[in-house]
Amino acid sequence: MSTPGRNANLSSLAEVDRLIHEPARLAVIALLYVVESADFIFLMNQTGLTWGNLSAHMSKLEEAGYIEVMKSFKGKRPNTMLRLTQAGRMAFQSYRQQMKRVLDGLPE
Amino acid sequence: MSTQLDLTQIERRAFRSTYQDGLWDVYFGLIVISMAMFMFRPVGGYSPVNMILALSGFGLSYMIFWLGKKFITLPRMGQVKFGEARKKRKLTLMVILGAVVLIQVGFVLFQVFAWLTPNVRESLNGILLDRRLMDLVVAAIGALFIGPSMMLIAYFKDFPRGYYIAVMMMLAVFLMIYLNRPIYPIVIGGLIILPGLVLFVRFLQKYPLPRGESPHEHAG
Repeated sequence: MSTPGRNANLSSLAEVDRLIHEPARLAVIALLYVVESADFIFLMNQTGLTWGNLSAHMSKLEEAGYIEVMKSFKGKRPNTMLRLTQAGRMAFQSYRQQMKRVLDGLPE
Repeated sequence: MSTQLDLTQIERRAFRSTYQDGLWDVYFGLIVISMAMFMFRPVGGYSPVNMILALSGFGLSYMIFWLGKKFITLPRMGQVKFGEARKKRKLTLMVILGAVVLIQVGFVLFQVFAWLTPNVRESLNGILLDRRLMDLVVAAIGALFIGPSMMLIAYFKDFPRGYYIAVMMMLAVFLMIYLNRPIYPIVIGGLIILPGLVLFVRFLQKYPLPRGESPHEHAG
């Protein structure tokens, strides 16, 4: 049942995944979407985020199950890589579709 | 769709950022200089010293590249693994380069066979009577062996500076064989290395070593 006077296009904006919609997290997710995996320093350099900022965003994304932290050793040195989970990949795809629908619906 | 275009750009920028350290340029420049040792024909004829110097040069070039990536680039820039599309391009490049090398080896074997066959040798001697003309032909063939292969590498590795390196390499091989003076490829090698060194210095300024926490202490 739709509320009278409610704009369907705009109301779908409210359904957008806010975890992804935040610009810094969107940059991180977009980057992880196009690569297989990357480490913290690479993400920091590519997104221009500070250490603390990126760390906070990564924790949120990890809690949501959108990213996966893979720890291993290269020789004796620990090696931590981050990658988008299947859930993260799907969430990003659906976010893109949703945003496209909303933005395409707007007049020029 | 514009969003697809943006993602392609994000991936391409991330990929090309791995060339910002200039180490590939330095590596190829050193290869050109090593090749000069290999192709230089001393007056007294070929000597094993040429081969030893060339092989040492190739080894040293790769060692500089590898050590630079491992101890300078990666700690500053971080690590990344690219997706399936990049892996496919790499595999395609390997297959094509393999085929190119096979063709080149086949061509060289054919040449050897032709020169060993008296009839063919006589007719070739007739055509290439002039020593300068023969050097010109060999130099052109040598340049054609190197240039297109390097251009393929530049294309498949999405490495725009590779086209400049390919042209310079062709020129180096051509001049080396035609004029038989190592100074030309050494100077050309230097012209390949120079932008690499400038990029390397810029890279060091742009990407200082991260301080503070270890990258492995975050999340999880």
